[in-house]
Amino acid sequence: MTAEPAKLDVSLQEHEEKQEWWWIAEKKRSKRLDYLRKAVWKKGALGGNYAPGIKVDLEGPKLFTDMWKWWKFDPIIMRRAKALAHVFDNIPIFITDHSQLVGYWGSAPHTISWRVDGASIVNEELYNEPGIMPEPEEESLRKVAEINDYWAGQTAVDKVARILDPEDAVKFLSGAIGWGAPTSAYGYSGKNYEYYLKGERGFEDIIADIEDHIAEAEEKTIGVPGPDILHIYDRIQNWEAMILVLEAAIRFAKRYARLARTMAEHLETDEKRKEELLRIAETCERVPAKAPRNLQESFQMDLLIQTMSRFEASEGAWPARPDYYHGPFYEKDVLQDKSLTEEEATDLIGEFMIRAYEVGGFGPRWAREGMQGITGTWVWTIGGVKPDGSDACNALTTAFLRTARLIRVSNPTFAFRWHPKVSDEVMRECFECIRHGLGYPSFRNDPILVANCMNWHGHPVEEARTWVHQACMSPCPTTKNGVQPFRMASATANCAKMVEYALHNGYDHVVGMQMGPQTGDARTFTDFEQLFDAWTQQMQWLLSLLVRTVNLGRYKDPEFYGRPFLSGITERAVERGIDAVSPEGERGNCWITAFTWVENADSLAAVKKLVFDDKKYTMDQLITALETNWDGYEQMRLDFVNKAPKWGNDDDYVDDIMLRCLRTMAKHSKVMRCTSNNTWPAAPQNVSGNIHYSSVVGALPNGRRLGDALYDGGISPGPGLDKKGPTAVLKSCGKIDHVADGRAFLLNQRLSPTQMAGEKGYQLWRAYMRTWADLGLDHIQFNMVSDKTLRAAQKDPEKYQEVIVRVAGYSAHFVDISRKTQDNIIQRTIQGI
Amino acid sequence: MSTCSDCKSFFPREDEPGKGDCVRRVVDPRQAYYTTRPKNPEEDASGCGEFRKR
Amino acid sequence: MKCPECSYEAPVPEFRYLYNVRIDAPLTLRQCPQCQAWLSVDELAGESTGKVEAGDAPWGKSAGIERDLEEAV
Repeated sequence: MTAEPAKLDVSLQEHEEKQEWWWIAEKKRSKRLDYLRKAVWKKGALGGNYAPGIKVDLEGPKLFTDMWKWWKFDPIIMRRAKALAHVFDNIPIFITDHSQLVGYWGSAPHTISWRVDGASIVNEELYNEPGIMPEPEEESLRKVAEINDYWAGQTAVDKVARILDPEDAVKFLSGAIGWGAPTSAYGYSGKNYEYYLKGERGFEDIIADIEDHIAEAEEKTIGVPGPDILHIYDRIQNWEAMILVLEAAIRFAKRYARLARTMAEHLETDEKRKEELLRIAETCERVPAKAPRNLQESFQMDLLIQTMSRFEASEGAWPARPDYYHGPFYEKDVLQDKSLTEEEATDLIGEFMIRAYEVGGFGPRWAREGMQGITGTWVWTIGGVKPDGSDACNALTTAFLRTARLIRVSNPTFAFRWHPKVSDEVMRECFECIRHGLGYPSFRNDPILVANCMNWHGHPVEEARTWVHQACMSPCPTTKNGVQPFRMASATANCAKMVEYALHNGYDHVVGMQMGPQTGDARTFTDFEQLFDAWTQQMQWLLSLLVRTVNLGRYKDPEFYGRPFLSGITERAVERGIDAVSPEGERGNCWITAFTWVENADSLAAVKKLVFDDKKYTMDQLITALETNWDGYEQMRLDFVNKAPKWGNDDDYVDDIMLRCLRTMAKHSKVMRCTSNNTWPAAPQNVSGNIHYSSVVGALPNGRRLGDALYDGGISPGPGLDKKGPTAVLKSCGKIDHVADGRAFLLNQRLSPTQMAGEKGYQLWRAYMRTWADLGLDHIQFNMVSDKTLRAAQKDPEKYQEVIVRVAGYSAHFVDISRKTQDNIIQRTIQGI
Repeated sequence: MSTCSDCKSFFPREDEPGKGDCVRRVVDPRQAYYTTRPKNPEEDASGCGEFRKR
Repeated sequence: MKCPECSYEAPVPEFRYLYNVRIDAPLTLRQCPQCQAWLSVDELAGESTGKVEAGDAPWGKSAGIERDLEEAV
């Protein structure tokens, strides 16, 4: 299929006037991209439920479990390598019509994958999930039950849970204070791109290196006896597991090559498509076995590695820097050799994004509610600087931004590493994406974040400059000692509980149990310092519990789970013969995702103002009102909202409390240490945890009731509470030290599409962004879709399937998120700038 | 007894004698594609609903 | 409070609390336990102001420039 536009007519201008960007995209993109974009089975849960037709893949789990059982006497890393190799060799694979890139995490396009050995509680939830069993349903349920029976009690989470402190385990599993799983079976795997994605190395090269290491190690094992050689035996097993799985990965790619060749030689009649299929065959025979030579091979290698990683563990993020690592091939193919036209390259770029968009695995309900509309946070990093500090933007940076507007996927999204040397051309492309309502790219302040990487984790500047988003927000270098091979999501804190527990003596009225320490009956507090002291103790308790759990999960993971594939693509593991998840030689790059953070500042300020300063209400009255969820206390509730200063209005009264909270937390972040003996800074942001936790967090002094959405951002003001305009928001946020006060701070802002129209709109936005940069904020992202469009989409969702909004650290199609989330987004203040 | 090697969907592997792939066309509600899974040529195909005599 | 849809009458807390779209206003969403309709409720007056359908926004426009412009007119 050619790269010519699908169809063009005179109504483009009309669509533009109405800001119906999705129709424009459909008309401007090529026939191929149009087909591939519409061919995707959407895996993101719609407000928490899977779309009709989506089925769980049972082929992979059965293959994996069969072989796992067979090799029961092997060490865990070898056992996983053999089971994984069996999946690579036998799972059905497919090639979609018109596609040029291949690889999918499942046996058919409509399937979602299932990590059988991660957690029994997830397996049980899968068994009970309606609508996702392949037909015949009864037979599928029988298969699932058999698999569940086998894994019950021996999944990674089962093993960790058995050794956790029982009280920690119960509190963690209550679901009230955090989420995630302390195992690398799920989570965010950083990738050592500097090792394998620079076009210098293929899997055959890595295997050769490993064989050299094994030969050297074996020499030692037949040498002088002593304690110093004992660890080598385990390392040889690790290396052999890496080889086994890397070889299977090469065979997996060659299965695609064989299918493409069979289609070209026996089944396809169209000559042009035959050529494309033969190119797919040639590409998959080449990569990942050998280093890529052109853009298609480079994309294909990256995609296959991401796909295969997911067969090993249910990776919930997709850290990437596609313009930086694939850019040299784009420049060679398109600009120098001219072996690809720009249109042909656009087809490849668009398909690369679409292949990522279609990926999906089964997630438990809390994860689906917490990330409505998507299956993970594929936040791809673009822009930034090179290790020497020079501008890293290239022709592929702008090509990605242009292509994003044509295919309009909600996942992956881009996060742009802004720095002072970024050209106007690139900024205009970024702005166009926002103007087209994509909600991305988000903007990251590169000099600030490079300094942040160095401050918190001691990454050398050249390594810090390679950073990518490990998940939604937190930077991570892609280097040998800087990359964090796994960050478990369970250091994700529901921070609104800090102030809630401080007010209720550590008792949780929602889950009905004593959670935090008993910090005193708040009715008896006579000054703000007593309340703040209670808050500090609750904060320290909550974060320490989560971090203890994660540290233990990380420490035991090579024994309980094992990552031979990830190890084989991680230089530190290849060099040392260790599991990549082992902290040996890793500098450390942990962070706490601080959900529902801003409620702490607004609530503490409201109590200080109305109880201790103005003495309008007593603590006794407040606690009584909170215990009744403000029912019968509406006027008092409104006073706590409207007569107390709120974050985001450049008011030092509340801003100082925010800073005090952050700095008290930052101090504790340095007390807690990770498995590499490094720090645990916090990154306030929410994904859509502000909706998930709306029914978990009780009434608060900022005026919310149990059931209300929490604030949407990490440092975004409450929706509608930022009454002093956009500059006041930036000034409040600018009081935070974005290097030393935490790891990253998410700021959502909403702009008027009418005001942002045309050149005038761009210039206004540029001036606003200069203020943002001057104030030293590390992050900002924008929604630019009008109330009118969003309300129309609520009323008639079928007509507005392609409207995208920025939720928190990610974007989603508006119609895929719950009504409560939709209303929360609509009520964000539209800033006039 | 029909075996997989008697089926039009079966493609023997040139470089791996005794092994082959079952390659089938699928058209689902959203897309069309070719899918493959490894097959032993001597496998009993009498119960296969997709069998097409070569 | 009386449900404007089915006339069911009960104290406000018996209508299931859903959420409050605008934290700084007394208008909340509750659900009638009899007919399941979503209702907007004035919490100060203890009365429902009507049934809420998809796309309705009884609490008005978002804060900020659009509302400011409207109010200026």
